[in-house]
Amino acid sequence: MKKIHLIGMIMIGIAIYLIITAGGEVATYANFDDARGTEGKVKVVGHLVKDKEIVYDELKDPNYFTFYMVDDNKEERKVILNQGKPQDFELSEQIVLTGKMEGDEFLASEILLKCPSKYKDEEVYLKNEKG
Amino acid sequence: MDEIQYIGEHLLPGQIGRLTIILSFVASFLATIAYYFAEQKKESAEASNWLKMGRFGYIVHGLSLFVTIGCIFYVMYFRMYEYQYAQLHVSDDLEMKYILSAFWEGQEGSFLLWMFWHVILGFILIRVAKNWEAPVMSVLSLVQFFIGSMVLGVYIFETKIGANPLMMLRDTMNIPLFAQADYVDLLNGNGLNPLLQNYWMTIHPPTLFLGFASTTIPFCYAIAGLWNGKHDEMLKVSFPWALFSGAILGTGILMGGAWAYEALTFGGYWAWDPVENASLVPWILIVAGIHTHLVARATGHSIRSTYLFYLMTFFFILYSTFLTRSGVLGETSVHAFTEMGLERQLLVFTAFFFIVPLAIFFVKQKSIPRIEKEEALASKEFWMFIGSLVLLFSACLITASTSLPVYNKIAELFQPGFDGYVIQDPVEHHNKYQLWIGVFIGLLTGAAQFFRFKEANWGAISKKYFIHLGITLMIAAILTFAAAQWINVYAWQYQILLFSGIFAVVTNLDYLITFIRGNLKVAGSVISHVGFGLMIVGILASGLNKEHISTDPFTQRGLLNEEMLKRNVILFEGKPALLNDYEITYQGNSMNANLRTYDINFKKLGEEGKVLEDFTVHPTAQFDNKLVKVAAYNPSTKHYLDKDIFTHIATLPKKEADREEAQKMEDSLNYRIIEVPLGSEMTFVDTLVLSDTTMINRFLLSIESVIPNATHPDYEPKEKDLAIGAKIKIQQLGKPENYEANPVAVLRNNLVYTYPIQINDLAFKVKLPTSFFDKVFATEMNLEYQNFELKEGDAINFNGYEVQLEQVARDPKHPNYQPEKDDIAVGAILKVTKNGESKSEFVQPIYLIRKMNPMMIKDKLAADGLNFQFTKIDPTTGKMSIGIAQSEANMTYPIELSTNSLRTDYIVFEAIIFPGINFFWAGSIMMMFGLAMSWIRRRFELKR
Repeated sequence: MKKIHLIGMIMIGIAIYLIITAGGEVATYANFDDARGTEGKVKVVGHLVKDKEIVYDELKDPNYFTFYMVDDNKEERKVILNQGKPQDFELSEQIVLTGKMEGDEFLASEILLKCPSKYKDEEVYLKNEKG
Repeated sequence: MDEIQYIGEHLLPGQIGRLTIILSFVASFLATIAYYFAEQKKESAEASNWLKMGRFGYIVHGLSLFVTIGCIFYVMYFRMYEYQYAQLHVSDDLEMKYILSAFWEGQEGSFLLWMFWHVILGFILIRVAKNWEAPVMSVLSLVQFFIGSMVLGVYIFETKIGANPLMMLRDTMNIPLFAQADYVDLLNGNGLNPLLQNYWMTIHPPTLFLGFASTTIPFCYAIAGLWNGKHDEMLKVSFPWALFSGAILGTGILMGGAWAYEALTFGGYWAWDPVENASLVPWILIVAGIHTHLVARATGHSIRSTYLFYLMTFFFILYSTFLTRSGVLGETSVHAFTEMGLERQLLVFTAFFFIVPLAIFFVKQKSIPRIEKEEALASKEFWMFIGSLVLLFSACLITASTSLPVYNKIAELFQPGFDGYVIQDPVEHHNKYQLWIGVFIGLLTGAAQFFRFKEANWGAISKKYFIHLGITLMIAAILTFAAAQWINVYAWQYQILLFSGIFAVVTNLDYLITFIRGNLKVAGSVISHVGFGLMIVGILASGLNKEHISTDPFTQRGLLNEEMLKRNVILFEGKPALLNDYEITYQGNSMNANLRTYDINFKKLGEEGKVLEDFTVHPTAQFDNKLVKVAAYNPSTKHYLDKDIFTHIATLPKKEADREEAQKMEDSLNYRIIEVPLGSEMTFVDTLVLSDTTMINRFLLSIESVIPNATHPDYEPKEKDLAIGAKIKIQQLGKPENYEANPVAVLRNNLVYTYPIQINDLAFKVKLPTSFFDKVFATEMNLEYQNFELKEGDAINFNGYEVQLEQVARDPKHPNYQPEKDDIAVGAILKVTKNGESKSEFVQPIYLIRKMNPMMIKDKLAADGLNFQFTKIDPTTGKMSIGIAQSEANMTYPIELSTNSLRTDYIVFEAIIFPGINFFWAGSIMMMFGLAMSWIRRRFELKR
């Protein structure tokens, strides 16, 4: 057997091993219920509850932001994010949170928003509309 | 709808452009066929005719494409919004320096940019490729044919083929506006996405697309080589093209990283975003191809691999195009193009260039020469091949992870309602694997450099090899130890990576000095490999040690986990904050076009508060094209040799960030009209109800004076304006601070404009109501002045006051008088004493001649209601005419005041130190520079 084949086989072996271990790093989006049962961090997907309070008072604490999110199971939870409020937060169609449950609240370390594209809408700007 | 005769449309550029799109599409097909026959029948007499026809076809193709692009620029430059592409990408207020960016903002424009580079490269090939012209150009023309179909915009059997960039707006949507014959006059454009309005958008896409286009050339040569079987010659002539491609594509990717770092606020140059990965994979593959290519040329090994690498590189360019433009990435990427309904066409395109080249390869591969004897363990070719395999492995891992959304899509086809899988933490995921790739590459580039190709005499040089290896290992170990202290590398995995990076630098420098003796002609590889090593050091230094300045200085480091790390601080205008050895002050801001720039001063403090360093950063907030809302915050970075301080605004007060929100908040303010006395204080009571407690705050209010010709930061004076201000003093009872507000009301064309003042510390907003104006004028109109002729020293009695003309002063100084050039001004200093009192007060009305016009500036004693004016000077007698009038004493004026007006004088700010980031930039630039050097050298070699 050639050395090159040997090395090739070792690499394939490593690749298979990596794919198996990487399985732990991929997951479907979780919901709050899954998050309660998990030790580590999970990604939870859901929507902003628009009629509940969204708290961000930068004058009090620029790193404290809370809101309510409802997941795909219709479970509603308060979310705490120790960061500033993301831009265009209220416009979001979907929210993806990374974090874990702490008691009844979800402590998020990261937030991703899916926003409707601002520049795709079917509106035509007319001259007199412009400010 | 009936046919409408539209007015004001410019139809000609669209007609020309649409025609040339089709012409160029057809011509590329003609060129493909003609070049094909020129190669197939090259032994026969007709070959030269086919070749001429192919050339003609390609030149027509290229020129038509230029005309198409010209037409698009024409409609964009003249803002013909009747064209959809112009309407979508430019607007009246878009600066013309962004027209290039606007052109390739859309998918159609970027396809055209890609084709444009293919045309340029094709024209060069026609000149230089000689007997390779026919097969290479045939393949290139075929590629152009496929890309050309993307901008065709025709329907074949109900299927849309491509999106035409010269569509009329009225053909793309059906809205009532188009019932108006003169709709063109009413249109305005959307303009360029404000996030893309920077110079990176001007230089990054063309470089990246030249990189994309350049990978096509080695691909075309590979197909041509398989086709005509002249493998050795193919390897020789295509080598410079491969090196060129590696350098340009790499530069294009780097520019993307630099853009992210310089202009976006996520604080980094690489995020393992699918779009970034999609362009990185082809680059890794072409670099692997360059290495096997070198082996193939030197030894005859690895020819097959070289072919496969070039075929794969181009395929992955198409795959990345598919990923970024089909919408399949969905929410996993932050910067994919918007969807256009061309997914299937893209899929066909990509699949074609996967299947057909591979089929050609397997049919023709028997003709590729191979060496049966295995590479020796102690030879360069063996280790270079291993290196290429590691690169391929890296590309496979990245692709496998990046393609997750594609598997999800496929799974969904078979199992509707399938929940897609996502990678939990892509950055960690990729870093974990690519770390080991980096280790292997670092060690290989170091250890393999000293081997020689086709080593026949290993025994004789092995001693020398091991001596060099031993010494470089030792030096690298010592440097790693030192560097690990500097950049705090604790995890052993990172220490190994650091070591391999440094080892690559040390060995390659050793190789440069002792083996090639500083011969710069062949130093391209050394420079690239040293660059790679430095890049690793830079990635570790900046990635592991980024440190927030803008964090709470009192929290113990390490006690907080990631969720709890406070990243942002609030800075109040003019009030320094002490944060981690820096005194940071938000000094103010200014608006220019749609950019508001903030000045934030940093002072680095040493022991005993000594200022070691003083600099100001200028992060900006970029507003959308209608100036309503902040569209993006742009960072500002202070660069040092050994670190960067990266700063940006995280949040602005709502009122500052969003004009609509500001209006809403202004509307919700509860203004009260208060009669405030002139010259004396009144008490104002504010009750604040907080659930069960009521807080009562008392304030002292007074108007110190009424100011004619007042100024205000937001007020731009115009001629015939009448601007009156009030100088208002406010003090909270029991607090030492005194606040002054100078709101202004302006009468312009019978309308009153009011300019309010916000007192941030009290959350007060003060403005002058229209009734303020009325009061000022009514008072003035109702005054009846009594005239007195006085000489210096004269005194008269008026309504119980003694008024004495103390002195007539030239160039008088008075708060109501602002001197101008060539003024002739005289002030009458009057001493006023109330009968029976000993205390006197002074007033100074002024007589003024400005531009030949006599004017008077009055003065008053507000508390007593006395008004004074200086009406005339009689030069012959030396007597002054002084008018005195009594108005009601203790005059009050109405002002409007709202409490609870949120403050606006602050920003939420983030500042991060990236140590050693210049190693990353310097290293990666060296990598590209080394590739470019090799390219130039190989080009000259070919010419000789």
